[in-house]
Amino acid sequence: MSRLYGDPIEVWVRDGQPARFVWRDRLYSVRQILDHWVVAREWWKTSETDPGERRFWRVEAATGREIGTYELRFDTASEAWLLIRAWD
Amino acid sequence: MGPFQSSFCHLHVASAYSLRYGSAFPDALVKRAAEHGMDMLALTDRDGLYGAIKHVRACHTAGITPLVGVDLALAPAEEETRTSRIVVLARSDGWGDLCRLITAAHAGERGAPSVTPELLAGAERLTVLLGPDSDVGKAMAARRDGEARTLLSAWRSLVPHLAVELVDRYGYRDATTATRLLALADNLGVPAVLGNAVRHLDPADYQIGNVLDAARKLVPLHGRHVEPSSHAYLKDGAEMARVAARICGGDQGRMLRLLAETRRVAESCALNPVEVVPLLNERHPILHLPEVGMDPVPFLRHRCRDGLLERGLHRSREARERLEDELRIIEGKNLSGYFVAVAGITDMIRGNGIRCAIRGSGAGSLVNYLIRIGEVNPLEHGLLMERFLSEGRVGLPDIDVDVESARRLDCYRLILERYGSARVACVSMMETYRARSAIRDVGAAMGLPPHEIDAIAKAFPHVRARQIRAALDDLPELRGSGLGDRALETVFRLAERLDGLPRHIALHPCGVLIGNSGLGDRTPVERSFQDFPMSQFDKDDVEEAGLLKLDVLGVRMQSALAYAVSEVRRVDGEEIALEEVPRDDEATYDMIRASRTLGCFQIESPGQRELVAKLEPRTMHDLIVDISLFRPGPVNSDMVTPFLESRHGFRAPSYPHPALREALLETHGVVVFHEQVLRIVDAMTGCGLSEAEKIRRTLASPDGRRRVRSWWELRVRPEFDAETVEQVWQILDAFGAFGFCKAHAAAFAVPTYQSAWLKRHHTAAFFAGVLTHEPGMYPNRVILDEARQCGVEILPLDVNHSDREWRVEKLTLNVRREDLGPSRPDDARASAARVEEFGRGYGLRVPFSAIKGVSEAEVDRMVAGRPYTSMADFWARARPSRPVAERIVEVGGFDAVHGLRPGEPRWRPGRLTRRDLIAQVGALERASRSGVSAQAVQLPMGFTEQVTPGELPEMTEAEAVEAELAVLGMDVSRHVIGFHDELLDAIGVVRAKDLLRQRNGAEILVAGVKVATQTPAVRSGQRVIFTTLDDSTGPVDLTFFESVQGHTAATVFGSWLLVARGVVRRTGARAISMRAVHCWNLSDLDRLWRSQGIQAVRDVLAERPDSAGGVGGRQITYENGYRISPYADIGPAAGVKEPPRVLWHASMGSSGPTP
Repeated sequence: MSRLYGDPIEVWVRDGQPARFVWRDRLYSVRQILDHWVVAREWWKTSETDPGERRFWRVEAATGREIGTYELRFDTASEAWLLIRAWD
Repeated sequence: MGPFQSSFCHLHVASAYSLRYGSAFPDALVKRAAEHGMDMLALTDRDGLYGAIKHVRACHTAGITPLVGVDLALAPAEEETRTSRIVVLARSDGWGDLCRLITAAHAGERGAPSVTPELLAGAERLTVLLGPDSDVGKAMAARRDGEARTLLSAWRSLVPHLAVELVDRYGYRDATTATRLLALADNLGVPAVLGNAVRHLDPADYQIGNVLDAARKLVPLHGRHVEPSSHAYLKDGAEMARVAARICGGDQGRMLRLLAETRRVAESCALNPVEVVPLLNERHPILHLPEVGMDPVPFLRHRCRDGLLERGLHRSREARERLEDELRIIEGKNLSGYFVAVAGITDMIRGNGIRCAIRGSGAGSLVNYLIRIGEVNPLEHGLLMERFLSEGRVGLPDIDVDVESARRLDCYRLILERYGSARVACVSMMETYRARSAIRDVGAAMGLPPHEIDAIAKAFPHVRARQIRAALDDLPELRGSGLGDRALETVFRLAERLDGLPRHIALHPCGVLIGNSGLGDRTPVERSFQDFPMSQFDKDDVEEAGLLKLDVLGVRMQSALAYAVSEVRRVDGEEIALEEVPRDDEATYDMIRASRTLGCFQIESPGQRELVAKLEPRTMHDLIVDISLFRPGPVNSDMVTPFLESRHGFRAPSYPHPALREALLETHGVVVFHEQVLRIVDAMTGCGLSEAEKIRRTLASPDGRRRVRSWWELRVRPEFDAETVEQVWQILDAFGAFGFCKAHAAAFAVPTYQSAWLKRHHTAAFFAGVLTHEPGMYPNRVILDEARQCGVEILPLDVNHSDREWRVEKLTLNVRREDLGPSRPDDARASAARVEEFGRGYGLRVPFSAIKGVSEAEVDRMVAGRPYTSMADFWARARPSRPVAERIVEVGGFDAVHGLRPGEPRWRPGRLTRRDLIAQVGALERASRSGVSAQAVQLPMGFTEQVTPGELPEMTEAEAVEAELAVLGMDVSRHVIGFHDELLDAIGVVRAKDLLRQRNGAEILVAGVKVATQTPAVRSGQRVIFTTLDDSTGPVDLTFFESVQGHTAATVFGSWLLVARGVVRRTGARAISMRAVHCWNLSDLDRLWRSQGIQAVRDVLAERPDSAGGVGGRQITYENGYRISPYADIGPAAGVKEPPRVLWHASMGSSGPTP
């Protein structure tokens, strides 16, 4: 089962892809990119000229010996990362 | 992956010609592909080849190989709700098959083209791509793998050239669906290719894509309705390689195979541009000429020889030589069949009793005259064939004919019947987004209320969409409108982005494509709104594709002329052959010189009325010059003044060189016509007229003028001295794109003269034609007033005498014998006749069709049921709707039947009034609704509800005129300005008829109904507003310069009745125009007068506002110093053209002004 979080996280990026991230004080290293997609923001609801887009990554990542699947989101307008959900 | 980056070819690309879907134009896409280093590019627009010719041409220019296909919907199976789409590419030999496939796809319901897999069965020359939007792709995305497999197997067994198109635009699950599609394709042995389903040029364009999605689906913007398309742009090879890597999941070998397969499919679909667009081969274009059933060369020669005899030219050596020259050029270009076909068509049109006249440069050809395509003899007016068709000219000749506007579609039907839809089709045109339509679509997408959208859109003049925000800043009438609100900023920003995008395909107003039985292989054909077969190509595409067309333009004046002739026949029993009328009638020219030209073709505008008064035409040639001079070019390069001075002998005509005298003699040394440019160039260089025509065309662009300059200096013959060479060059340089084709003017002058002749000699019939077909620039109430001033009596609506259209009635009562009948041209006194005598003895009857809101079926019943014995009888048999019946009573349609008369006294006990009748309409309607049969109320005055005659007061004359304006849109019984006479006299307004007595420079007040507002291009580069007021004694022409527009523009555009202060400017012996200083809405002044008295009005009139802020915007400057305002020459905002609902603001205790 997956759980929704939406926590701000810190992410290290390599070749345009997330490589490592820190979530709830634990370091995760990305072993595999499972999926990646992009969603354009509903710009007509905002007043900004360029509302940017949201980039999603579904990754397999490990912390120590625990391996799990996580969904990360990068917002180009705020340049902020969130951890959206986790499967454990 | 290096080599694949440059060799990648996009196979699935939508341009802006995918209506309300794509956002980039073909040439921009091609340019970008070339910048990406690509050597091939496909265009696969939705539903058709609307942009294909432009794509092929752009590819040819950029040196890359074009591919063309189409993105089509699959006919939905019954249980499906969303349609699937496939892409079909023409293989290298498949252009014809693609055209026919698209034509077949459009054969079903109009506006919903679709194909079935069966239609594509065994298609050897087409390649079918099944992408994520196809039935296979959708089944796969929905994880119905078994269904996807069955569908793809079925496709594989039907279609010989099939590929699965993988697309990953980074949407949710895009990549996984593509990966699974790839696995299925591999499993079934179907090739897979990589695409990007391109919609845009740049990533940021997706917002516009969202708006287009909403506009196409007629829904507000919402995540549910828009296609995520931020990655649907024209990616370069490296980006596409990354997409391939995602889909293949890091399998390098599979990825290379995918890209190689994409390349292989692209190469099998490479088209030869010259085969599709023959005109790319300038020397020997392959034309697709009409079949005429015999060898057209001897046939055309034979018809021309007969023509020489018929036109009485067989003895003329000049004519014979000219004919030989023309035929040589025509035969050299293989165009004999085209001329034969066109002559067959014009014969057929005239044979069906439809008026038909040649227009444009075609009038310069003797062949056209001899085979009776046109009625203008080019030798008589010194017209040149080379302007129309020359050896040097690339491209095809266009023959244009004008027919009666009311019967244009009949002409199309005749042509289609004769040649069949396999050989002819109408030409289409793309309607594009402009400011108003863009605001409407964006406003709807953003969810603004419809009435707000409407108000915002209508506030704008007809500017381009990308000028929206600039117009808000620049135009005084918009600055104060509150539209600059920040909330609307996004709407305007997006609306600007829609600028120029095609939004709707429509029937071109005149082009008919005349091909042969192979037409279906050259162009896809769909059906127009009126069910005509219509090519998907616009007029430029048609020519590029090597197809010939004939322009059949509907001209309202031709309908008006035909109607006038038929009224003369009906009323006077006289048969007029307009073509045979001598073109030297003194009385007609006399009327033109007095500038009584309202209603006449080409010479009725305020500027033209001023020009004809100054030019004083006496012959057809004068009319030709007049029409040619009244163009932005001559007016702005100031050719008019020197011409008029020489013509009237104030100045000796000057010729740059005696050798040019012959060419310039007819216009006193001033260059007016294109033909003169040709003659000058030929005379000074000896290059021949064909070459000279090529030079003239080159002069149109600044770059061309530079090239011609060096050519000129090399080629001018040595006998011309340097000063002459330079002086003539100055003329050619300034003339540039301006000037006018004399053949065109000569063709125009014929209906101009014919309309003037009819106005002079069959005045009532002429006005009946003009009122019925409305050919001109003025509203009908102005025409009606002109008819009244010409002595024609205006007869009110009468249920027993009115007809479907305007009818002439001969008046027999109280008319003296000498007043009867129009003056004849041979009558010596005729030319001296006064205007008010022109139409004496005739009346014009207001028709049923003029009633506001009346339906065609109602008019049919009203006409068929005549005569009527009472209003109840009319109600029962003509069965009008209640509002229509009430309107007929209001404007006096039953006055004659019931003996009514509006005016004083208002209370008439025991006698029926119009208001009583209106009450009875209500009673009748209640009775009909309650089921009382029509029979029961048929007795005159036998009403189920009793209405006592005289119970209600009669309408005043003012109320009657108010009703006429509201119902008919015109003041029939008297001129509306008459009700304001007291106020206008009190403030000292000068009437139009007294203007000539004002001294030059006097500052006076004028008033009237606004009848025309124009903002043409003028020399100074300003936006100047020209307004014409009508005050019942004649027109008053006002000019508002930018300096006064700050305080006047809103009033000028926003009022119907105007008072203006202006300075008198004498422009000729009988011509006056006024420079406006200030203006007011007469209705406002009237209200002020009634509430606060005359002094308050005088105070307002005495104001001298400082004009803050005129018209902004950067002027457009041409090379030769000619500047125009960016807002010139566009239709102004709708403004107020209709009378307001209430004309008089009655003060307390008053029932309106006393008339």
